[in-house]
Amino acid sequence: MHHAFKLEDQDLNVELSRARDGYRVHIGERVLAVDLRTGADGRAWLTIDGEHHEVVVATRGDDVFVHLDGAAYQLRYRHPLDRLAASLHGAAEDSVRAPMPGSIVAVHVRPGDAVTKGQVLLVMESMKMETTVTAPRDGVIQTVKYEKGQTFDRDALLLSFEPSA
Amino acid sequence: MTVNRQTIDTVRARVPHWPFSSVLVANRGEIAVRVLRTVQALGLKGIVVHHAADRSSPAVRMADAAVEITGATPVAAYLDAAQIIAAAKASGAGAIHPGYGFLSENRAFCEAVEAAGIRFIGPTPAQIDLMGDKVRARNFVEKAGFPVAPSAIEDDDPASFIERARKVGAPLLIKPSAGGGGKGMRIVRDLALLEAEIERARSEGQRYFGDGRLYVERYVENPRHIEVQVLGDGQGSVVHVFERECSVQRRFQKIVEETPSPALDDAKRREICETAAGIARSCTYRNAGTVEFIFGQNGEFYFLEMNTRLQVEHPVTEQITGLDLVLEQLCVAAGEKLPYRQDDIRSRGHSIEFRIYAEDPARGYTPTTGPVLVWQPAQGEGIRMDAGIVQGGEVTANFDPMLAKLIVTGSDRDDAIARADRALRDTVLLGCKTNTAFLRRLIAHPAFVSGDVHTGFLDANPQIAADPPLTQHTRDRLLAVGSLMTRPMRDVADSVPDMHAAMGGWRN
Repeated sequence: MHHAFKLEDQDLNVELSRARDGYRVHIGERVLAVDLRTGADGRAWLTIDGEHHEVVVATRGDDVFVHLDGAAYQLRYRHPLDRLAASLHGAAEDSVRAPMPGSIVAVHVRPGDAVTKGQVLLVMESMKMETTVTAPRDGVIQTVKYEKGQTFDRDALLLSFEPSA
Repeated sequence: MTVNRQTIDTVRARVPHWPFSSVLVANRGEIAVRVLRTVQALGLKGIVVHHAADRSSPAVRMADAAVEITGATPVAAYLDAAQIIAAAKASGAGAIHPGYGFLSENRAFCEAVEAAGIRFIGPTPAQIDLMGDKVRARNFVEKAGFPVAPSAIEDDDPASFIERARKVGAPLLIKPSAGGGGKGMRIVRDLALLEAEIERARSEGQRYFGDGRLYVERYVENPRHIEVQVLGDGQGSVVHVFERECSVQRRFQKIVEETPSPALDDAKRREICETAAGIARSCTYRNAGTVEFIFGQNGEFYFLEMNTRLQVEHPVTEQITGLDLVLEQLCVAAGEKLPYRQDDIRSRGHSIEFRIYAEDPARGYTPTTGPVLVWQPAQGEGIRMDAGIVQGGEVTANFDPMLAKLIVTGSDRDDAIARADRALRDTVLLGCKTNTAFLRRLIAHPAFVSGDVHTGFLDANPQIAADPPLTQHTRDRLLAVGSLMTRPMRDVADSVPDMHAAMGGWRN
């Protein structure tokens, strides 16, 4: 098995194995003895390489949120199959994602519309500023996910293109 | 600020019979909670309006009654004056507190509230009008004899423009009359170059805006933002409640506010505070208000604008004076005179407010969203957290990204900064990225520690906003926690027999 987390825009490989006492994490060539005991209100105690650290943890779906040394971090578990699929397709240009959270001011295209690279697809509003979202390539719009007035989170799929021939 | 027993007894003596028994808060988030706290402590009934998106917000949970309002967007609901006044009538509210933002400085709303026979907890409509228009406010303040930035408008008398511009003095800023967005602006530091720069600005204005008319104003280099809290009873009595410095800003929005300002000595403090009180007195101001100044490195200061409402950063003033500014607003709205004089208002210690935003400083301060899975605000001596979120709630793109305000008070500035660092470290919010780690880097910066910042400080120091690279030690610990909290990884690890495990590390 190959496991990985996305942490601050980086994919990091890690493996976990059972030890007689607790577990071991394998990071590159390094192996560290670890264990985690969880308590109430998200409090948890991490033991790593003989050191003890108090943390606060929470999970939602594939996300693990950790408060460590006075700062909050987010790790996203990358499913092995998803990573495989992504590496085979490289289809990033088929989807248009939100650069930041916001709401839709206007949608200029409908499914089936043929568009050219740079054409305005929709106008969004965030931080009291309007931003236009343009076509990353020539192509045909497959789906439009949001209507005027709706809000979305960062990285939300706004529109998709039909796969290029 | 919680209203204590003694304050309540004092207020009973001050306002034996409230002319209203319930107050509707026409706002949301932390400020709705803040206002409700004082309203309820006085034994008055607190009512809130809310959009469905805020149904499980702390303000709605806390209020004695909540009225749902609707709108094309959640923000539109809070801007719908007719609907809010209808809600106030239906719920029998005797007064409306507008909070800040939304309808708080809207003349038509204020008039409509009063026309409906409901008290507006704020200034008079005429005062909103006067201070809401920048040019009108500036002219009023200048006429009353208070300092505004020297300027010269070409249109007033084109023939004498250059002569009048020269009188403004260097450094000065030339702006196209038709301009905006900083285009065509020129800074002149040497008056010998004035005429040549005016010609250049004129041709740029012509090119950008098809209009070559200009105006000139004094340019304040690396200015500080210093504002003064005032209180007026609308019956002739006005006091100031000292200053706040709000120079740490990003995109012209305040992030950190403190009082006293590290830039002022006692004489300067008296001068700027008395100027603010004088401006408020000139219009027989009613309500809590804030007079904002631009403050130059050499101690010159000019009127910027006056906000005729409770400010986001009002708590730092409360912390060092012991006043409850919402209580003061309520008493004034009840028709009471200010019961104290300027000399009765004293300050003690130092207080700093940090705005906790759902945003990512490293990505240009863009807003973030997400669930509030864990929310554990810092606690302890000198720590006050005014929050508009609850654990289990959700941060969405519907509203302003300010989640909470951390207000830290200490015996002096160094003490307050030290407490702030601990409080920011101990504040846990998981599920939605916030700016708390950035705030810790900010207050550790030597310029902040020495109190030497100006409004362009963060733009000039973008490295403070950047996430420092993770150390291997931090990355290891995060990956360990992530792995141990992820079901598929634990399942795979647990499926390997103990005997293999006992043999030592395995590789794949």
